[in-house]
Amino acid sequence: MLRGLYTAASGLITQQRRHDTVTNNIANINTPGYKGTNSVAHTFPEMMLSLTGVKNEPNTKIGKLTTGVFAEESLALYLQGDLRETNKASDFAILSNIAVDGLTFDAAGKNVSDNGTVTYQPQAYFTIQTADGGVRYTRGGSFTVYEDGILRTSDGSTVLGANGAPIQLPPGVSIESLTLNANHQLVDAGGAVYGQLLISRIDNPYLLVRDGSGHFRYEGNENEVQAIVAAEGVEVRQGYIERSNVDVTQAAIDIMAAMRAYEANQKVIQFYDRSLDKAVNEVGRI
Amino acid sequence: MNASMITAMSSMNALQQKLDLFADNIANVGTVGYKRKESSFEDLLTNMKAQPEAFQQSGRLTPLGYNQGWGAKMTEIVTNFTQGPLKETGLSTDFALEGNALFEVFADDAGNRAYTRNGAFHLTLDANGDNILTTENGQPIVAIITDANGNATEGRIVLPHGSEMQVAADGTVLGVSSQGSTVLGRLKLLEVTRPDALTAVADNLFAVAGGINADEVVQAVVPSEENGIAVRQGFLEQSNVDFTQEMTELIIVQRAYQLAARAISSSDTMMGLANNMRA
Repeated sequence: MLRGLYTAASGLITQQRRHDTVTNNIANINTPGYKGTNSVAHTFPEMMLSLTGVKNEPNTKIGKLTTGVFAEESLALYLQGDLRETNKASDFAILSNIAVDGLTFDAAGKNVSDNGTVTYQPQAYFTIQTADGGVRYTRGGSFTVYEDGILRTSDGSTVLGANGAPIQLPPGVSIESLTLNANHQLVDAGGAVYGQLLISRIDNPYLLVRDGSGHFRYEGNENEVQAIVAAEGVEVRQGYIERSNVDVTQAAIDIMAAMRAYEANQKVIQFYDRSLDKAVNEVGRI
Repeated sequence: MNASMITAMSSMNALQQKLDLFADNIANVGTVGYKRKESSFEDLLTNMKAQPEAFQQSGRLTPLGYNQGWGAKMTEIVTNFTQGPLKETGLSTDFALEGNALFEVFADDAGNRAYTRNGAFHLTLDANGDNILTTENGQPIVAIITDANGNATEGRIVLPHGSEMQVAADGTVLGVSSQGSTVLGRLKLLEVTRPDALTAVADNLFAVAGGINADEVVQAVVPSEENGIAVRQGFLEQSNVDFTQEMTELIIVQRAYQLAARAISSSDTMMGLANNMRA
């Protein structure tokens, strides 16, 4: 049996998934608060090959073999995106660089201690509520205020305040007349407070699952999500949005790499086909 | 079906809509009182390819399931109401607004109202031969008229024949003739507190969509030094479209469009490879 035929086929499917993931990153290079994703591949479980039907052979072991690869998970890269000034009072951007007891994080936001303990850098998010009442987290701070005065995301979810209720401006108060202070409170020129943005701290951002429309759902225990009041390495800026963190050059290269790797797998299948051709039409010829 | 193709197609559609928006803004770079239209993007629905428990291998960082996105879409268009530059014209029927305010006009005979920043008004003769202040399209401007008893009503500005119009910074309209001057009314101005709820309609007008209480979106305001609102006669407010900014964003969007097109041709190559697996 030619095992490699199916191995190459699994390679084709994996590269297709990788290509799909990179295409989705490219599609979102202008989406505020978007976090680029990487497709992580994983080998099939290893098999131990042994000789069979031999006698008096001291060592029948041949070696280990994996017979394929699959796209295991799509990992978001929780890097800070660049801020872009929009001058729109209902646009907000989070600058998040939360420190954890003196640990230094690598570019991917991870710290591995000497004894192997892995700590991920916590990330800050706006807290929003969807129409069905579910709590979601987002970095896309491009909000709008319609006639009812409620601060909403572009898909109509309400932006939650520190008291757990949606932020609603009273009639006649325009968001343009309010500024955001260091405690994430919306205050007017006289110092009156019209709501406080609920900024949530997520200790392990990998437990967030992308939910569409820039939302993330937290898969862990909701009690682990804490509200950030002030400082703690998180700054919220009004009149800015956080741009997508997708690196265009990297995406252009990744898409070529995925396509060529797909092609290489296709070639391998063709070579196996040639071997089968020989086996069937030449070796088997009478 | 090839997911890359669907993803790239949906994002190219969104980018095309954004390009159309730039074309609209650039076409109106010289339109009096025009306000720039803006929109953003958001990622589309994602789906989870379910994975069985056996996929929970050590070293895995995320919960079970393979997450896949399907591109991006353009979000709702909102209007940027920042102040445009004022240009002097010297015409007595040209007005510019300073600050966060809108003129109100009678949009139709049914009493519907519309709002505008375009102060290039005209004097139009109506059926009774009265000289009334209207927009370029003949819609009368709403003014507050105070009668001899001190009752204020909303009406049109009627300029007596032989009079010149003089408008103060607070919007008070005077008819000046050799016989002296009379107060004809005060231009009604509205402060916008919910700009996102205003919809741009044709002829440089804004309207509040049906079903929405207009009082929640705009409130009557009297220009003053404190609120920074003023009416300037003999000036026109130019479009607030910044050509440089439009062009820069146009380049960004066009390059994104190109890259998405590359993704389509790349996935086309992949489908070709699959088709030619056995040549």
